[in-house]
Amino acid sequence: MSVDIYKINPEFRDIMPKDILDLEDNATWGQEKRTIQDLTDKKELLEEHSLCAGCPEAAALRYVLTALPKPEDTIIVNSTGCTSLMFPHIALHTVHSLFGNQNAVASGIKRALEWRFPDKVKDVMVLAGDGATIDIGLDYTLQSFFRQEKITTICFDNEVYANTGGQESGSTPKGHVFKMAPKGKVFDKVPMWELAVTSGCQYSIKLTASAPKAVARAVREAVYIARELGPTYIHLYTPCILEIGLSASEGLWEMKEQDKDRFVSFKYVSPEAEALLKERKKEGLL
Amino acid sequence: MYYVAKVNSEMCSTYKCNMCTLYCPEPNTLMFDSAKVEGREHGTSWVDEDRCKGCAICVYVCSDLLNRDCIEMAMVTAE
Repeated sequence: MSVDIYKINPEFRDIMPKDILDLEDNATWGQEKRTIQDLTDKKELLEEHSLCAGCPEAAALRYVLTALPKPEDTIIVNSTGCTSLMFPHIALHTVHSLFGNQNAVASGIKRALEWRFPDKVKDVMVLAGDGATIDIGLDYTLQSFFRQEKITTICFDNEVYANTGGQESGSTPKGHVFKMAPKGKVFDKVPMWELAVTSGCQYSIKLTASAPKAVARAVREAVYIARELGPTYIHLYTPCILEIGLSASEGLWEMKEQDKDRFVSFKYVSPEAEALLKERKKEGLL
Repeated sequence: MYYVAKVNSEMCSTYKCNMCTLYCPEPNTLMFDSAKVEGREHGTSWVDEDRCKGCAICVYVCSDLLNRDCIEMAMVTAE
């Protein structure tokens, strides 16, 4: 690591596992220009995870982490779900909130950090599933948008409560049947990306995790805008291959299919945010 | 007994794509070694077999999307 928040005691260096040594020698801390290509040969901030083989959510988290402009000064607030199984393995600060109140917790953390470290840039990011963001935590999510909290919210949408056996969520499309929802969803999918725009987000984007570069770009843009202007929202399709009955190698295919269907690209950038992005691009950060 | 991904380094090093390393859902598992072996044009991808869960997304990317067939699933042996 090139920043001194974590150092191995030289006397213990010879007995440290290679994974830990790699974090110091071959990780990408302290570099503003981290790119998706770091995934090919650098040490990742996500060490390993206990998610299923071929889980698109795990791939998406790799892209999110590799796109963070300042991982050493980023705090991620997450909620219960499959993603929370990955957070104990991440080499940066994370907070596991109660189910649904992740945006409220993130708001508090952001305000406290601004007060405690007025001269430093600290990014606060929320990362939760569709149940936490759109169903149970909808109130907290929208209220944080109304208050113009400077946080980035990422929703990993798998369109079902996959972690608890397959109950329908607000994000499930109309007519879809799951193991614990045999009658089929009666209502339409909640268009959270549009609600985010209406509620005052400076940046709202909907995409699948089928294109690593697009995901990484969206995360960087969202973080830069959230730093200066206000809330940003990323709606990312990461299907649960088990719940929809696909084999381990078919997650990417499914996302590519949905690129043309339910997850046709949607992007809103406010005029102020657009100007800011142009500036960042000139500086070579995007 | 289970399957893990195996990269055919000779074929892989004729391309310079890295795509499999981006799509692998496992961190620090499918990596790219840019060091060139003598007589080969580029570096090659390689798999940390202890970490591979055998999902075969890399095979889908390499064979179905890119038509390069450099990765196959192979049974793990005790060696």
